[in-house]
Amino acid sequence: MTQKISVLIIEDEKSICDFVAKTLQAHDYRVTAVHNGKDGLAQLTSFLPDIVLLDLGLPDMDGMDIIRKTREWSSIPIIVISARTQEKEKVAALDSGADDYITKPFGTFELLARIRTAIRHNNKIVDDPVNANRPYSAGGLKIDFEKRLVSVDGNEVHLTRVEYKIVSLLAKNSGKVMTYDSLINQVWGPYADDNNRILRVNMANIRRKLEANPGEPKFIFTELGIGYRMLEDESLA
Amino acid sequence: MDIKNETQKETRNNRRQDYRKYLSQSATRETMQKDHQRNCTIFLGMFLLATGISFVFNQIASDPSLNIAMVYVLGLFMVARHTDGYLFGLLFAICSVISVNYFFTVPYRNLNFTMEGYQVTFAGMLIIAMITSAMTTHMKEQAAALAEQEKQLMEAQKEKMRANLLRAVSHDLRTPLTGIIGNSASYLEMEEQFSREEKIALVEHIQDDANWLLNMVENLLSVTRIDNETARVNKSYEAVDEVVASSTARFRKRFPEAEVKVRVPDDVVMVMMDAMLIEQVIINILQNAQLHAHTKKPIELFVEEDEQFVWFHIRDYGEGIDESKLKSIFDGEGYREMSRETDSYKGMGIGLSICKTIVAAHGGMIGALNHDDGAEFYFSLPKEMEA
Repeated sequence: MTQKISVLIIEDEKSICDFVAKTLQAHDYRVTAVHNGKDGLAQLTSFLPDIVLLDLGLPDMDGMDIIRKTREWSSIPIIVISARTQEKEKVAALDSGADDYITKPFGTFELLARIRTAIRHNNKIVDDPVNANRPYSAGGLKIDFEKRLVSVDGNEVHLTRVEYKIVSLLAKNSGKVMTYDSLINQVWGPYADDNNRILRVNMANIRRKLEANPGEPKFIFTELGIGYRMLEDESLA
Repeated sequence: MDIKNETQKETRNNRRQDYRKYLSQSATRETMQKDHQRNCTIFLGMFLLATGISFVFNQIASDPSLNIAMVYVLGLFMVARHTDGYLFGLLFAICSVISVNYFFTVPYRNLNFTMEGYQVTFAGMLIIAMITSAMTTHMKEQAAALAEQEKQLMEAQKEKMRANLLRAVSHDLRTPLTGIIGNSASYLEMEEQFSREEKIALVEHIQDDANWLLNMVENLLSVTRIDNETARVNKSYEAVDEVVASSTARFRKRFPEAEVKVRVPDDVVMVMMDAMLIEQVIINILQNAQLHAHTKKPIELFVEEDEQFVWFHIRDYGEGIDESKLKSIFDGEGYREMSRETDSYKGMGIGLSICKTIVAAHGGMIGALNHDDGAEFYFSLPKEMEA
């Protein structure tokens, strides 16, 4: 039998904790749950989980501090659990090192998908730096990073240099949300205007080239107020 | 731990309040200073103007004393009218008497307080100053009282709206909660007597009600994003495609079986908006169509633009809306009747009235109409330049 993946849940709502723990145990994860930040940090260093689910609103400390403290020594994937209306909080958490977020209330399916993606990305960084250039393929969209070719259902799509940069960044992080700021930083450099309008316009153009109906995208999804998420690579899911 | 957190929060709040108090105090100090400056400027300006005009009269007219007196009285009136309190009016009266005495009466360039009738002039000027100042002060007080009254009336109206909303919401929250409590209780108490299908039905009811509650709470939360004082929202440039796509995706999450046909303009359209709020508007209208159109035909969601506005249309091919309710459908009032008739608490009265609030806060319009085969809701957002 393979080693079970261990999950640490840091969440003060007991009912949510229970529901998540039960769900994950049913799907063969090893779960540890703590209800405050202090215990969370202690468990993080002693129990060394494979992934952390973190609620930002803890009774004793700001969840952001836990992210920052953890990132000083580890790249353990962290998924933030938060309410829908707190976009600013989510962006701040992502920018200070969280891997992804999930919005309350969430379903089992969504939670499991996020956990899988986060673990996969983490493994890729650690084990697989050479293989990073293998092609992306999902739902008819194919990206060949070596030839810089993008095609939808076999038809080649011509993207501008910037558009290709955005698409390839999203594809390499497929399934994971990328904030506007992180995209802008990596495409236009750290001194770019922090107005994300240029990114939005580029994205709208990309959608018009890739998607059959830009009003109902199949490949690149918008997370309002936060960033973009690309359909998960099929060969990895 | 909780207590510690509470006290921390409290001190933070206190500090915030102190800071606010400090801000408002310094603000009043600033306005007082500004008022004082304004009063001084009016006083000096009028005095110099009156003296200047008097000099001109003195040069051209043969017997200028009457005109000069008139000019100063007029100046006095203006100063008393436009400055706050009595001080500047009285000061002007004294200064003008002295200046007339010094510049324009024989002996020129000399003060002579023993002239005949001088006391009368002096007293006259002072009385004019006092009466005018008294009148002005009174007028200003009245205006302030009126403004205060109006403000109180507005507050009362707001309060009434809040109370109405609260009443409607409480009613709406109670119904699904009763369902959740009832269903879960019967599950727990009589678990053995139910078949598997019955159990699933019970849990499905619970899920339905919970989803409905969530939707309600999200609507209410979205209202808190609108500034209470100014009814303004935090706007930024957003691509219309993204908001539309995100709303339909969330709508589909709740109604997986629902069909929505989406169409966006070929050009990239960016509009200033609070995307979360506009998403809520679109979702509310889509849900309204889904729940009340009573049809399996797909809902259409499309966006058009003209020179000034971007228009969002949500069109269904169902029963349409009762003409008598079309007018008040966004007021949250028609809600009671609607729910009674359809015998379902899942009316969207509050949802639609929140839509109206949100669109109005964006400076747009919202409306509903019946077309040949169903109902259509539409709303607009103004295209504006980035502030």
